[in-house]
Amino acid sequence: MESKPRMLTILDGITILLFLTAVGMVFFYAPLEAVMGQVQRVFYFHVANAWVGMLGFMVAAIAGIAYLRKGDRKWDIVGLSAIEISFVFFFTAIVSGSIWARGSWGTWWTWDPRLTTAAICELVYAAYFLLRQGIDDPDRRARFGAVYALLSFISVPLTFISIRIFRTIHPVIIGSGGSGAEGSFDMSPRMLQTFIFSLITFSIIFADLLWHRIRLGKLAEEAENLRLKTLQ
Amino acid sequence: MINTLLLQAPAETTRYLVAGYTVIFGIMSLYIISLVVRTRNLKRQLVMLRELDQERK
Repeated sequence: MESKPRMLTILDGITILLFLTAVGMVFFYAPLEAVMGQVQRVFYFHVANAWVGMLGFMVAAIAGIAYLRKGDRKWDIVGLSAIEISFVFFFTAIVSGSIWARGSWGTWWTWDPRLTTAAICELVYAAYFLLRQGIDDPDRRARFGAVYALLSFISVPLTFISIRIFRTIHPVIIGSGGSGAEGSFDMSPRMLQTFIFSLITFSIIFADLLWHRIRLGKLAEEAENLRLKTLQ
Repeated sequence: MINTLLLQAPAETTRYLVAGYTVIFGIMSLYIISLVVRTRNLKRQLVMLRELDQERK
């Protein structure tokens, strides 16, 4: 295994700086929301976590196409890495959203179209890990992973558009939503800057973590190959 | 006057802010720790497997 690339070390540093700046902006730069109060600050990282979730699922679908076309196992590592990171961040988005909902709507959970489709999306990707574990042959596992990443990606746009096509109480941040939304607020310029900065920061965090996770995936592949060689 | 001011004050939701960011930072930290631990364990395994491979040769 080669030593850590210099570019990755630089990216780690940039990521930490951006993250600390984003935290500072959320707590000290963005103003207090007039109705919801402090809990509104959860919104910045809640949306950023959901964004990383959707971004990674999209990367995995693209990696799936690349694997099916080229048959190179490196794309399987990319797909698995992207799904693992996104699964974690999407889970965080669901839990932090639930906490926001308790403070804003007065309930931890409601079977609203956005919450329901997000939960289904997360469960679909949870199944990806379980099903992968059941396949021993690496090539079959990679082929299955590619097809599954492609098919499961259907749940991502469905989750995104659910608040735009169904009547829902979940606020719509980008674009216009239904009249039934509860917890909507007009973003002041400082709120918008914090929101956009958080989205950019979390995109960089995703890229950094993806690089680390791909390196881990390559290590795991090397270990698996050596183990098979030792057993022969 | 006081009633009007009280009605206009934002809701007291600080504990949900604390809970929300505890979850966000907590899960992120756990994931990063898991990446570090898995990498360290795999590197150890690789050293051992390479030694076994050398012995076989």
